[in-house]
Amino acid sequence: MESVLTIKDLHKSFKIGFIPRKKKILNGITLSVNKGEIFGYLGPNGAGKTTTIKCILGLIFPEKGEITILGQHYLSLRAKENIGFLPENPYFYDYLTASEFLSFYARLFRIDKRKKEEKIKKLLYQLRLEQSVNLQLRKFSRGMLQRLGLAQALLNDPSLIFLDEPLGGLDPIGRKEIRDIIVEFKEEGKTVFLSSHILQDIELICNRVAIIVNGEIVNQGNIQDLISEKIYFTEITLSGVDRKILEALGESVSIHGERILLKVFDQDKVESVLKLIRSNNGKVYSLMPRTQTLEDYFVGVVKQK
Amino acid sequence: MKIIAIAFNTFKEAIRDRILYLLFFFAAISIIFSRVLALLTVGDRIKIIRDVGLASLSFFGVLMAILIGTGLVYKEIDKKTIYSLLSKPINRYQFLLGKFFGLIFTLFIMLLLMSFIYLVLVFFHTFEIEWETFPTIFFIFLELCLITAVAIFFSCFSTPILSSVFSLAFYIIGHFSWGLETLINKIKPGVGKTLVQILYIFIPDLENFNFKTEIVHNLPIPSHVYLFSISYGIFYTLFILLLAMLVFRRRDFI
Amino acid sequence: MGLKVKIDRMPRKKIPGSSIIYLPSGKYLKYAASGYSSLLADIIYLWSIQYYSDYNISDRFDYLDHIFSIIAELDPHYLDPYEIGAIIAVYEAKNFDKAFKILDRGLEKNPDEWIFPFQAGHYAQMIKKDYELAQKYYKKAMEIKGSPALIQRLYANAAFKATDFQTAWKNWVEIYQTAKDERIKKIASNHLYQVKAAIDIQAIEGAIKRHIEHYGHNPLNLAQLVREGMLNSLPQDLDGKDYVYDPDTGKVKSATIPWKR
Repeated sequence: MESVLTIKDLHKSFKIGFIPRKKKILNGITLSVNKGEIFGYLGPNGAGKTTTIKCILGLIFPEKGEITILGQHYLSLRAKENIGFLPENPYFYDYLTASEFLSFYARLFRIDKRKKEEKIKKLLYQLRLEQSVNLQLRKFSRGMLQRLGLAQALLNDPSLIFLDEPLGGLDPIGRKEIRDIIVEFKEEGKTVFLSSHILQDIELICNRVAIIVNGEIVNQGNIQDLISEKIYFTEITLSGVDRKILEALGESVSIHGERILLKVFDQDKVESVLKLIRSNNGKVYSLMPRTQTLEDYFVGVVKQK
Repeated sequence: MKIIAIAFNTFKEAIRDRILYLLFFFAAISIIFSRVLALLTVGDRIKIIRDVGLASLSFFGVLMAILIGTGLVYKEIDKKTIYSLLSKPINRYQFLLGKFFGLIFTLFIMLLLMSFIYLVLVFFHTFEIEWETFPTIFFIFLELCLITAVAIFFSCFSTPILSSVFSLAFYIIGHFSWGLETLINKIKPGVGKTLVQILYIFIPDLENFNFKTEIVHNLPIPSHVYLFSISYGIFYTLFILLLAMLVFRRRDFI
Repeated sequence: MGLKVKIDRMPRKKIPGSSIIYLPSGKYLKYAASGYSSLLADIIYLWSIQYYSDYNISDRFDYLDHIFSIIAELDPHYLDPYEIGAIIAVYEAKNFDKAFKILDRGLEKNPDEWIFPFQAGHYAQMIKKDYELAQKYYKKAMEIKGSPALIQRLYANAAFKATDFQTAWKNWVEIYQTAKDERIKKIASNHLYQVKAAIDIQAIEGAIKRHIEHYGHNPLNLAQLVREGMLNSLPQDLDGKDYVYDPDTGKVKSATIPWKR
């Protein structure tokens, strides 16, 4: 598997406060991203996700560590010509129209003038912005801005794309649209580095993930490998059994109006619980085994730290 | 060229800044007011018009340079437009130079407009177009370029308000250069003296670009003075830009 | 309306901005002006015109020289203020020293401007009636390249009035010789007549005085003075005529009035 992005032992501290005190943000980050995959970079807020990305892009200079992009030194112009970046909460020059904006950015790459027009049209169409070609950016909605941000990241047809919280602040339809677009990238053979804390979406589209907590990578690998397939707990919705009896089982009980929600973690107990309910003339409404989600895994990992 | 692309974009951004038009409005008023002021004098009226006119060009030009220059880099950092920009294959110095050239082009246009108003007013008085004024206006422009470089330099690491204050102080001290020289001779050796000496060496003598008095009295200016002032201006501007690039190179954009 | 007129007529102690009197010397002001010194000179000059037109400020001339020296420091080549300052000094403040100081400064900073010593000479001669001073100034003005020929005539005339007959004679001769038209020649010739007459009469009257000292009374006629040796010879005026002597008063005068020749 070819590695498109390699980070070795990345360290970064900032001086914070009026009397500057050193705060370590990144403490030895090591990871690698393979060609053609959608790589998820997860962590709670303040863990260092954005800092890592900024280091990779040369917006921040690390104290220590090596970064290689597509086999080149990460700061080289060759590397930059093959990557795209969508920052968090993108904001661009208000007064430009969509085509003016993309045209300006296109001039920063060595894109042929004639091809430039075509390319911009194509991109805007691809991202469903063809209606807004001559609309000023100040009039764009959040979702439109996000898509435009993707457009500028794609101008140079990059092989590696960095997305920092691309789904933030979008409604469910917007999120689906972006997710679909990202999957399209993969199908085109591009590699995506996706940083987010919205786990449901990561779970849906990423292949491999790395989890960063307090500036350190606590785990990385395929999602399937990290999440065990075994059943996490069984959720039983019931009524008609006295609460105290259920609590005596030592499992999680919560009451919702007339119904009681029981989470049974110990799978061996499930049979006996069902028997208990029947013997008490209770009614079972639903029984659902739940496997571990990424969220569960994540919360567990973070709690450990 | 990438620098030109950024310069053009900067120009589009700067030309939309309302402060520019506010200052231009005041400059125009000031120039026209010189006509009124001239009525109060006993003797040569055109001198008053020339003095006030050229001073307006210079003064408001400097204000424009400082107020817009200090905002330029800061705005990009604050609004985070700089993130997507610097992740593209450009060098940081290209970004700075682009900003610089964009701004001086804007100033050039504004100066042209103000000069036009000035020359029209003078024309109504003397019924001739004073071509001799153009070198003076050129030197005002040169001074503006230098001040712009200074404003951009400060805005690379400081907030707009502080940068404006520093740039203005730079401008005032720059014209005060002779005074510094006298001061150096009069102060006893010590911390104070060293401080003044440092100021004197680093801050350029902006009087080098001030030919307003000469042109108002139609005094001739020897060509070697022109040459010296032009090279002085260009070198100093380059020097400041270089400093700005150094500061900007390793700056972290948190 | 009536109220406004009344208020305008009330004496105002100070014009706003008259604290300008307390400005430091022009040198330092130039630094503070940061490159706008020419403009500042204009502003102060405009202000001063208003200030000196306000007759209600009784002590306004105290700082006349100070203010105009500031203007000169800020913009030495601004010529109007020197002239106007001198006019104010002469006609309003009636102070000649201040006027001359201002005009001297004008010449010092603008050595090619003959107008300043010319005006100084004019004030000296016409108003102060200090002919020696006038002579000095006219000489200065004369020596500046480009000054009009008329100044030499003024110089010669002032010299005459200052009883410096030698200089007057010399210059009138020059003027006569270099005169471009008949009118000037005539003027020069008349003046030469006048100067010679003055010189001659001075000599004659000196002899008369010596005669009186010797003999105690006026001589009978001028020829007597020659006989006695009080006078070497009897001078004649420029036209070759004799001088007229009145033995009763002892006064000598020329036969013709110079201008009626």
